[in-house]
Amino acid sequence: MTAINQTSLVVISAIVFLGVTLLSGPQVGDWMFRISTLMMLAISWNLMANAGLISLGHSAFWGVGSYAAILSANAWGLPIYLSLIVSMVFGSLLGLFLAVATGRLRGIFFAISTLALSEGLRISAFMMPEITNGAVGLFLNQALRPSTTLLYVVGCVGAVIAVVVSVVLSRSRFHFACRAMRNNEPAAQMLGIRPYTYRIVLLAISGAMASCAGGINAWYGGYLDPEVAFTLHFTILSQIAPILGGVHTLVGPIIGSFAIVGLAEASRIFFGQQEGFSQLIYGLVLIVGILFMPAGIWGTVRSFLNRSATRKRREAAVASAAGRAEVKG
Amino acid sequence: MDFLGQFLVDAMLLGGLYTLMVIGLSLSFGIIRVINFAHGEAIMLGAYASFWALHVSGMDPLLALPLVMAAGLVVGLLIFRVAIRRVLDAPHINQILLTFGIGLVLQNVALIAWTGDERSANPPYAFSSIMFGDIVISVSRAIAFAVAVILVGGLFFWLKRTELGRASRALAENGDAARLMGINVNAIYGLTFGISAALGAATGVLMSFIGAISPFMGFHMLVKGFAIIILGGLGSIMGSVIGAFVLAFAETWVAYYVPGGIGWAEGVAFAVLFVILIVRPRGILGQAVEE
Repeated sequence: MTAINQTSLVVISAIVFLGVTLLSGPQVGDWMFRISTLMMLAISWNLMANAGLISLGHSAFWGVGSYAAILSANAWGLPIYLSLIVSMVFGSLLGLFLAVATGRLRGIFFAISTLALSEGLRISAFMMPEITNGAVGLFLNQALRPSTTLLYVVGCVGAVIAVVVSVVLSRSRFHFACRAMRNNEPAAQMLGIRPYTYRIVLLAISGAMASCAGGINAWYGGYLDPEVAFTLHFTILSQIAPILGGVHTLVGPIIGSFAIVGLAEASRIFFGQQEGFSQLIYGLVLIVGILFMPAGIWGTVRSFLNRSATRKRREAAVASAAGRAEVKG
Repeated sequence: MDFLGQFLVDAMLLGGLYTLMVIGLSLSFGIIRVINFAHGEAIMLGAYASFWALHVSGMDPLLALPLVMAAGLVVGLLIFRVAIRRVLDAPHINQILLTFGIGLVLQNVALIAWTGDERSANPPYAFSSIMFGDIVISVSRAIAFAVAVILVGGLFFWLKRTELGRASRALAENGDAARLMGINVNAIYGLTFGISAALGAATGVLMSFIGAISPFMGFHMLVKGFAIIILGGLGSIMGSVIGAFVLAFAETWVAYYVPGGIGWAEGVAFAVLFVILIVRPRGILGQAVEE
């Protein structure tokens, strides 16, 4: 796909996405909102995965973003977009901290440190009630609460910006540097890439994105406590959406977000609100995805398309060869 | 007031339990090179098995222990055969996410089957304690410590003195050379994974009469387990034993001597983890591990 084609595709889908959200009823609006925030989270996770950094603690960013948004809004009466900037600042600071603390650790070490980061933050949130109000929880000041429509729009715009950021990054030197780091870090270093610098920038961007999603969701929900903010749920969602859609691709996290919200709704319809079923399905998706479909939905579709394209090309080649043979004969 | 004696006893007892909790995790990483994010669920299922054994047939958790461990061994072997075997050579991301998915499934099956209510198995000795001067020793914790010591000792005996244990250590040292010596790699890996799950289940049985059981208990223990493994050094089983005691002493110290420390004690593991990662990622006894 050429760059111009790709750009126009992004613009058109963004308009459709926003249009569907605004013009349809509250139920569809709610779905689109959940898809939007999940998309931001999934793209952020996928950005890290592109560089070989597996995060098992995206709820750390999500939770910090939620607290930053609600606390700053309540304290200074900030409107939503300003408070989201606060969220993003704190998210990128947390990303910076993670990058500095983990240094050149990769793979398992990095995964475990992210897991520990989110658990550690959850306990800190419980133990610092003077800031977070502890287990009692925290409400968004109702006077500040914007209309639901505005929240839907903010969600959509956030998702569109996240997609644009990922598209822009995918065309830059940054993307190739990250990919080289994922495949072979020493070799990447020999090519003149300084992994540490790239990693700091990457985690800051990715952290800001996930925190912004958390902040938007906090405005939507209006209530926070440590269990809600740092729940494992969003850590799980942030990884299964890209994996189901197609990890390390641009389109994967987007497809995955639609698919996951669809799955969640389907399980709600079939099993009602009973606890556990949706998480059980996510676990099964993860297992089946890793064992049988490691390239995800998008990867499977693409390899199918490639195969049929190759077949057509081969048929054409055979036909023309036959044609030549006839002329000769 | 002087808590020193009480502090030492409590920390020792906790350290024994942590050792048992972490040693299965460490075994599966040290030998199979698969970090098992579902290990916490082995603990959780072991705890439920012990709970139901007591409540349905009145079987004492200590009598149920061998049965639960045998069941853990079988389930571990099955999970290895069905899933883990396929990702042995896959990138670490696939192993991490696969075992995470298995854990998620087990956790939620337990949640659906037995609800999220906290329970506890209460054998007659659960609430009794012995006094030594002014030191109180909880009988259930002392029993758990003794069981942990026996099981960990048994594991070391298996690794050092038996043919299969030696074979599995050979695999950890050099997989290709072991294969050339005629060791059946998949069978040994499966057995090791099964033993790891059995040790996890045994931890669960002990937890069932010390603390509360819930479908989510495994995850919290898992994170602590990782902190211990990194502290001791990834891949070193002896390192994990040391790490378990270091963490147990650190947590107990915070709980006893820091104001408001009981809540913060849960967070000690994460602080220790970050400090170790920054200062010495290889851990106390660890080998240098890439990835």
